[in-house]
Amino acid sequence: MTVPLECRGVTVAYDADPVLSSLDLVVEPEEVVAVLGPSGSGKTTLLYAVAGFVDLSAGDISMGGRTVATVEGGQPPELRDVGFVFQHYALWPHLDALATVAYPLRRRGLDPSAAGEQARDLLDRMGIAHLAHRKPAELSGGQQQRVGLARALAGRPSLYLFDEPTAHLDTYLRVALQEQLAEQRRASGAAAVYATHDSGEALAIADRIALLRGGSVVQIGSPQDVYNRPADLWAAQLTGPASVIEVEVARAGRKEVVIRCEGRTVKAEGAAAAPGWASMLVRPDWAELGGNLPGRVMQVWYRGPHTDYRLETAAGLVEIRRDGAPIAGPGERINWTLRRVWQVSDRPAGGAGP
Amino acid sequence: MAEPIAWRRPRWATIGLWFAAILLVLLVVVPLFELFRGAIGEGWASAGQAFRAAGTATVVANTLWTGAVATVLAVVAGTAAAFVTERAHIPARNWLRWGLLLPLVTPPFVSALSWAQAYGPGGLTDDLAGWTVPGLFGGPGVVGVIAVNAAPLAYLILAAGLATRVAPDLERAARAAGSNGWETFRLVTLPLLRPALLGAAALVFVVSVNSFGIPAVLGSPAGFGTMTTRIYQDLARSAAPAAFTRVLVLAAALVVVTITVVAVADRRFGLARVVVRTGGTTGSATPPGRRAWLPALALWVYVTITALIPLLALVLSSLTRAVGLSPIPANWTLANFGEALRGSYGAALGRSVSLAVVAATLVVLLGGLAASLSRRRFGRPIGTAAILTFAVPGSALAVAVLLAYGPWLRDTLMIILVAYLAKFWALGHRSIAGSADAIPPDLYRAARSGGAGPLTALRTVIVPLLRPAIAAAWAIVFLFGFHELTMSTLLYGPGSETLAVVILNLRQLGDVTVTSAMAVMLTALVVVAFAPVWLVRRIAGRVPR
Repeated sequence: MTVPLECRGVTVAYDADPVLSSLDLVVEPEEVVAVLGPSGSGKTTLLYAVAGFVDLSAGDISMGGRTVATVEGGQPPELRDVGFVFQHYALWPHLDALATVAYPLRRRGLDPSAAGEQARDLLDRMGIAHLAHRKPAELSGGQQQRVGLARALAGRPSLYLFDEPTAHLDTYLRVALQEQLAEQRRASGAAAVYATHDSGEALAIADRIALLRGGSVVQIGSPQDVYNRPADLWAAQLTGPASVIEVEVARAGRKEVVIRCEGRTVKAEGAAAAPGWASMLVRPDWAELGGNLPGRVMQVWYRGPHTDYRLETAAGLVEIRRDGAPIAGPGERINWTLRRVWQVSDRPAGGAGP
Repeated sequence: MAEPIAWRRPRWATIGLWFAAILLVLLVVVPLFELFRGAIGEGWASAGQAFRAAGTATVVANTLWTGAVATVLAVVAGTAAAFVTERAHIPARNWLRWGLLLPLVTPPFVSALSWAQAYGPGGLTDDLAGWTVPGLFGGPGVVGVIAVNAAPLAYLILAAGLATRVAPDLERAARAAGSNGWETFRLVTLPLLRPALLGAAALVFVVSVNSFGIPAVLGSPAGFGTMTTRIYQDLARSAAPAAFTRVLVLAAALVVVTITVVAVADRRFGLARVVVRTGGTTGSATPPGRRAWLPALALWVYVTITALIPLLALVLSSLTRAVGLSPIPANWTLANFGEALRGSYGAALGRSVSLAVVAATLVVLLGGLAASLSRRRFGRPIGTAAILTFAVPGSALAVAVLLAYGPWLRDTLMIILVAYLAKFWALGHRSIAGSADAIPPDLYRAARSGGAGPLTALRTVIVPLLRPAIAAAWAIVFLFGFHELTMSTLLYGPGSETLAVVILNLRQLGDVTVTSAMAVMLTALVVVAFAPVWLVRRIAGRVPR
């Protein structure tokens, strides 16, 4: 199978200000790559460049082994065989759901009745067949994005481009749409690029995650990779809840380290190059209540299945997640310990700063 | 395995852009250049001399003070009305909105005629109560009727400003932060409304200074002249070289005054944006509570006095058998309408309709072309150019067009059409460009990704969404073209009189009843023309955000 997408040194500049700079990205067959970055990092521009909505200032893009865009120009969007799902849905106000989904089919030469029939099937698969004759103004946000997804599926593209498709939905709708989207994408067998600023979403749906900063990829790897081994402090904070503590490494190692904190030592999973003071990333699930390190509860958030505690310790503030209801309130002294740490530097890894 | 890429930016876009630019130059730039060349061609000294000629200073002063006073009156009235309809809980809000816009339906010179019919000597109130409005013929009358006619413009801009700029929550936040009603108004509402107020003032001033029909009907008989009526009179005796130079100099001065005001206003407050935002209002602005009957009643009295009674008087006089008879059913007849449609008058009506239809159609095509090409880079300069050309006074533009194309087109309908296109292309462009800007670019991209080529995407997505704007632009240009008097009265020749010209000329000969019938037709036909637009809007449903 050919590679669905390959971006080589892609640069896009509006008025000399680069939005993407020398970006490299390869998407393997049937793979979902999440592009995770804060707003303004160039996620949408990357998808636009792949779809053919913006021109490249440098580099080139190939899809399915064919070059589709270079500095000189590119294949027009209608020939690139991508399915685009837009952040703000981009449903045409004058067309009802059925006509919207039939649109790509009609453009591919199907006659109206065949296109309508296939469109109805797609709406049925989305569970919104009963809304076929509603216009966007008469649909809720979740329903609108289902129509947008059905429209993207209709063209049977070889690559899906999702531009924060759930960003404007309520929490519970977001999860429902994510599930539907993942399921339909899997059924189609096509690869996808999924732009998002939500680390939870990226970790949940992606085969690999590319962290985007200032228009270039800072780190790319599996969800576990970027969560457990972020390239730098910025990457750590982008990929999930992160506490950073200052501790002394008593014994360095590649798999296990010994950490000294307030005169007590703890053995934890992780890596450190050399003994001495270091900034360590601690995820909420890497620390536990109980153990031998002293601390004091500052804040407690009960979240249903689990409870989040913020502890004040000699090493700094640490957030810890524990199953069940709260066992301590603000102001109480409590012991804690570390199971795992990851040394981070606040010097940005690779290219431009945040 | 890289394949060569055979793809280029579409050539037609560039060609279309050049076409629009050349047309703009021919329609506006060349005539204005000729005008200024003619005005100062014989040196500043002779231009100054023309300016110092007898009475010129008076008409310039008259123009400026009527403009200034009418601006203040119209903006105050428009603002007060906007606050009542948008912020007070009043009964029959939509009817009141329509009532306030009523003066827009009648051409300004018809308003002047109907005021004369209602409040002048021998008019309705004279007939019923022996009472006339003092000073109606003369300066005060000209100022008053101009203000009443311009007030709807100020009202539209202020109402839109209240709806879009002053979200009710901003005022509520000020109240919650501890300021009373007056402080809220002074510290929050007014500053937010400032751009709309100044934009409205600039627009009303320009409209007032450009006004020709009202001073021609109410000023000229009393010997009260403005720059526009002076241009008209001097052009009639333009055989005298001194008079013709004076026409050119006055026209050029009029252009300088209005363009300066508009350019400053546009630069300072983005007039282009202030004017185009005439969107709907939010329903939540007025919390339910006790209904404010008094302000609503006051506005209805205002609408009755300024619009309803004059219209009624006009209709009554069009139905009355002869001048001087009381407008009672016994004296009613439809003969005036028959007379108004007869022979050369009917032909004039036909010419007015065809001119308006052709101008509206061409303007929509040109405006759509310019709007579709001018997104992004050229948007702002073209928008400003559009506003500026629309501000060029009709009197001056007509003189300029006459100067540039008179040698070939003098006394033809064609030269009137050229002037209409020059004046009105801005209306089409603004309306369509404003609507095109409001369409999210992602809608177009979605079509392209769905497999549509550029032209297919335009046809299946952009054009259907622009349909209401296109219909509105067409109707507005039709309205202005059908009502147009200022330019056609300067450009017509034997056999190319428009209905408005015929009405004004007949009126000056004293024929009240037939001209009233014609004026009623001029107004009623516009209502007929607007019905399709209203229908399109109803069918097209909500305009995309």
